Amino acid sequence: MWAYIAKRLLLTVPVIFGVAFVVFAMVRIVPGDPAQIIAGETATKEFVEAIRKDLGLDRPLLEQFGTFMASLLRGDLGRSIRSKAPVSEELWARIPNTVRLTIAGLVVAVSVGVTAGVVSAIRPYSVVDSAVMLVALVGLSMPVFWSGLMLILIFAVRLGWLPAVGTETLAHLVLPAITVGMATAAIIARMTRSSMLEVLRSDYIRTARAKGLAEHVVVNRHALRNALIPVITVVGLQMGTLLSGAVLTESVFAWPGIGRLLVEGILARDYPIVQAAVLVVALAFVLVNLAVDVLYAAVDPRIHYE
Amino acid sequence: MRRFLMWLITTALVGALGYSAAAAPAGPAPQRGGVLIIGSGTDATTLDGHLYTDAPTATIMEHMVETLFELSPEGRVLPRLATAFTVAPDGRTWTIRLRSGVRFHDGTAFDAEAVKFNLDRILDPATRAPWRFLISRVTQVTAVDPTTVRLVTDAPFAPLLAHLTHSGTGIQSPTAIRRLGADYARQPVGTGAFRFKEWVRGDRVVVTRNDDYWGEKALLDEVQFRVIPDDGARLAALEAGSLHVAVRVPPREIERLRGSRDLTVRIDTSLRTIYTAFNVSRPPFTDKRLRQALNYAINKEAIVKSALAGTARVSDAPIAPNVQGYSKIMQYPWDLERAEALLREAGYSRARPLRAVFHHPTGRYIRDAEIAASIQGLARRVGIELELRTLEFGAYIALTARPKEQNDIQMYMLGWGTVTGDADYGLYALFHSSQFPPVGFNRGFYQNPQVDALLDRGRITVDQAERNRIYAEAMRLIMDDAAWLFLHSESQVTGVRNVVADVVVHPAERVMAHKAWLRR
Repeated sequence: MWAYIAKRLLLTVPVIFGVAFVVFAMVRIVPGDPAQIIAGETATKEFVEAIRKDLGLDRPLLEQFGTFMASLLRGDLGRSIRSKAPVSEELWARIPNTVRLTIAGLVVAVSVGVTAGVVSAIRPYSVVDSAVMLVALVGLSMPVFWSGLMLILIFAVRLGWLPAVGTETLAHLVLPAITVGMATAAIIARMTRSSMLEVLRSDYIRTARAKGLAEHVVVNRHALRNALIPVITVVGLQMGTLLSGAVLTESVFAWPGIGRLLVEGILARDYPIVQAAVLVVALAFVLVNLAVDVLYAAVDPRIHYE
Repeated sequence: MRRFLMWLITTALVGALGYSAAAAPAGPAPQRGGVLIIGSGTDATTLDGHLYTDAPTATIMEHMVETLFELSPEGRVLPRLATAFTVAPDGRTWTIRLRSGVRFHDGTAFDAEAVKFNLDRILDPATRAPWRFLISRVTQVTAVDPTTVRLVTDAPFAPLLAHLTHSGTGIQSPTAIRRLGADYARQPVGTGAFRFKEWVRGDRVVVTRNDDYWGEKALLDEVQFRVIPDDGARLAALEAGSLHVAVRVPPREIERLRGSRDLTVRIDTSLRTIYTAFNVSRPPFTDKRLRQALNYAINKEAIVKSALAGTARVSDAPIAPNVQGYSKIMQYPWDLERAEALLREAGYSRARPLRAVFHHPTGRYIRDAEIAASIQGLARRVGIELELRTLEFGAYIALTARPKEQNDIQMYMLGWGTVTGDADYGLYALFHSSQFPPVGFNRGFYQNPQVDALLDRGRITVDQAERNRIYAEAMRLIMDDAAWLFLHSESQVTGVRNVVADVVVHPAERVMAHKAWLRR
């Protein structure tokens, strides 16, 4: 098991380098010039050239890549082109916010999603099932910039129960967490339902019922645990997505997370920020995937890693 | 013969007195205390007053860092950290008297040495100050004595004082800049009515009242500048009371908000002009008749009324009304027959329509993409087929800034904020033939020797009445040439909760809370 984890962690290194290369190339393919953007639209040519030189953008691409990789190996992510602050500082200002929103969103998503999926599965094709799945479909289809704004209008503007924007207190976290959580909950509910339906039809469930076990024991202990494997995969993928920044939710709730940093970085052609943010996102994905694989083994004793 | 031409001192002081008297509010007495929260769309880019380029950062900087002169919302140049100035008859030597007894927030004394340090820093090319060009004509800064500084320019340069009102030339603590180096950009130190407290990246910048301020002290304990990128969310936050002031309210929301008891929508003028420039160096827009035809074909009033809910002002000059040197020149009326006649003269008809590619940005100016679509629709009525190319601003600006030989853009929409409040900045960079990209901002490659000569004269003429005449003549030529499709000057639409009093929305697109207070 530990050897497996170590091996997977080692494999992370080439993945990160691959991502570094791809993102380095991509930000430079996109039209637009960071020097021009910093200098402002009114800048003279000499000024733009001087800034380009400061940033090392006048060097050949291969040399720029070499410098970037060498700094990366030293753990130096450089300075933001726009704010001149160290990139690591910019990232650390955002990462805790993204992690908070991800955890809170997943708590909402898993609790609502799994419950709804199980309720649907134990009474398949009933009114309750149809209602839950309809709500899930709506939840899945609703764009977060709309649902988020609606939540603000209802709970902040009309009722005045919760703050509209900001990050200071736990109350500030409620609406954004519900917004990202609901969309994810819908996916989880649908996945839980179909997985549960399959498991509930299997022989060992019939055996469990034949033994005279109470229905809640059958459902919770025998069915749900087995049905969770695909759900964990979905939760893992969603977690990766949320860690890479819920850009729209972050914009609506003025939540300073990784997603907004990345988008603002792209708009300003702030190469160091974009590169670093993408690397963080890639790393988050790799680690979450690893955690999901390890969790499989914990949930299903038949799965072993050599 | 007089050694110095003395003037403005008295008018400026009288003006300043008049200004403060006019600003005195009628009604309940202002109350001290409280926290004012202002919501804007973007975070500060840097807090070094010499290094930013954007208006939201300028708004924040204005509260902490002061300039030698200030531009009043009415467009007058008033003394601020300076008290008076004189200019030698050669028009090149400017002697500026400084306010005494002023200290920076870190205790450093404000004096001529500090001013020299700051201006030298801006002028030093290594600083990379984007606003350096405002004072780049200054060749020498001398601290004559602690309260007198002398500036020498390479040629007479009339707009100098107006340029010294720009927040990009703010005076910051030399001690702090020397001590903090690159980190100064995260903890600015000025002489302003508020001092820096904290910057939470992507979330807010907070400033607190400076109780040692040399002038009339602020009433608010604290001002927070919050970042809320989404227009709808910013408005909702204002309605929920999470904000006191929200900038850039979408025009379509104005009617709905008018019904609110808790807040007021303000519509204030801006120094920003929106236009569509023609590339006059390449066909088809080398032909003046076609440029004029488009000016006649587009119903500017309708665009302002529908796309902007009436919040803008149709341009009657290439610069906005609050700019010094502005005068009303002309408007091309909406006249389809004239447009069609001009097109016919130039050899086009509905059977053989004029075709052009029209580039425009999206999300940069108020309703820019919608306005471009309206122009396309209106042009079609006279048989002009415009093909729209929509670009994100970063890519757009690079594309339009290419030099003449490579620049195949035919027409494109842009905006220009004459933030110095002086016509030179609004005309020279845009219409002088020395300002073709990549040097300047004359991105349509407009060239008229008469206009060049007038703009040159405007720079060196110190008498304002004479300058006004010069600029009026230059603008008349530019408008007759139809160098642009003249559109409108933007207004700033700001939502303010009714508990807030005396907030100023400056035409240079800054929200100023220096005198603001909260009703309780």
